[in-house]
Amino acid sequence: MKKSLRWAVPVAALGLAGLGIGLPGTASAASTTSYQANLQAINHVTGSGDFMLKLNGSQATVTEHVSGLADKFGGNAYPHVQHIHIDGKGQCPTTSADTNGDGVVSTTEGAPSYGGIGTTLSTSGDTSPAAGTTLTVAPSGATFTYSRSFTLDSKTMAALKAGTAVIVVHGLDPATLSKKAQGEKSDLVPALPLAATSPALCGVVTASQMTSVPGGAPQTGGGSTSGIQDESVLLLGGGLLIAAGGAFAARRRTARQN
Amino acid sequence: MNIRAHRARVYGAVGTVLLIAAVAVLIVAWRAQRHAPRPPATAAIPAQVIPSTPSSAAPTRLPVHSSRPAKPVIRGPLLPRSTPVRISIPAIGVTSTVQQLGLAADGTVQVPPLGRDSHTGWYKYSPTPGQLGPSIVLGHIDSAKYGPGVFYRLGDLRQHDRVAVTRADRTVAVFEIERVVEYPKKHFPTLQVYGNLDHAGLRLITCGGKFDPSVKSYEDNIVAYASLVSSRRA
Repeated sequence: MKKSLRWAVPVAALGLAGLGIGLPGTASAASTTSYQANLQAINHVTGSGDFMLKLNGSQATVTEHVSGLADKFGGNAYPHVQHIHIDGKGQCPTTSADTNGDGVVSTTEGAPSYGGIGTTLSTSGDTSPAAGTTLTVAPSGATFTYSRSFTLDSKTMAALKAGTAVIVVHGLDPATLSKKAQGEKSDLVPALPLAATSPALCGVVTASQMTSVPGGAPQTGGGSTSGIQDESVLLLGGGLLIAAGGAFAARRRTARQN
Repeated sequence: MNIRAHRARVYGAVGTVLLIAAVAVLIVAWRAQRHAPRPPATAAIPAQVIPSTPSSAAPTRLPVHSSRPAKPVIRGPLLPRSTPVRISIPAIGVTSTVQQLGLAADGTVQVPPLGRDSHTGWYKYSPTPGQLGPSIVLGHIDSAKYGPGVFYRLGDLRQHDRVAVTRADRTVAVFEIERVVEYPKKHFPTLQVYGNLDHAGLRLITCGGKFDPSVKSYEDNIVAYASLVSSRRA
């Protein structure tokens, strides 16, 4: 290689790195918006959760963690239907929303606060309000992680931007309800008890203070200080130790022959 | 004195010298073993560094039956937007320039380059230090090639330690540590670390715990949570 060319390669590499081309896998965050919600317990529930939504055009990617909900329903995992509610006040109901005084804020009683269903957060298939009470596509159990990408309809999208979208996760443990409420039927699906469809967790969706919320744990370590360091020095020490042992053994042999 | 006795004495002397050398080398190697500090459970207990109630200037909470969503209340001081250029954490001997980081292809924050000079990086899609919300600053704990990184001692930070971030507008944003927590990467509390705040926050993040050589990754992250307490001219 010519002397002049020898410098050209690293200089060009630096130039590329400076342009960001040399960096591994940079993703654009300019076109995405992030939303979040802290899911808090209502109706004597002890659970909690968090909800994140990334919006790219009309493509929504939801990641949600829920824990502490009712676990079983008739021996099976308890289905927790969940929705993005829209067109209400953009709030979660307080106990004062319990107009019939049975100790439970039913879905209907909470509606003035959070509105009606805009999107059903189902595990598969339909995400429209029509799938709102389809138990077979509801996430289930006491603890679940929900993640799904789907196309968001324009009404829910408008509510997200207006700050009036509210996440509601339904399904209470009947044992935590008053005697009166335990005997009541669901205000939504009369075939089910009131506990099955009443709200358990609620969270107002807000735009993130970050332009784009990162996915999780960053890789901030190479590992040089984690395990055994300076193995070569340790090996040298070990080698010297063995050599010393050899010398002493040789000495003994020689002495014995004497 | 026969030749054998002489040879035995030479072997003995050589053995002694080798033994001394071996012990010396092993002591040097043992002293070179370095492990990054990990935060104890007590470091995870939050300290209050800004008032728990909003300042009097903030609007009072709207009644529940208002037709508008409740206005967010804000605690502690805020600064206008300005990108960070330098960070100083005297308690753990850190002074570093701050680079800008984007997103990696897997959706996590890009990390600063693993170079001889380990720098910190500010995640450019997070608020700038002093703005409302969680400002994210990353640093390596170490690199395979160059040893300890800029945030090697992050696990040594304790409640009320100070962090000074010099910004492009020549203000210094002064943060105070509230807590330092180690999380398994598998259960990284994304919303807790990156979620919205009612104050100007700072999150210093590095790796920690055990290193898994098979995937070249630490198993944990150490996160130091801080809040803006004051600011001054640089």
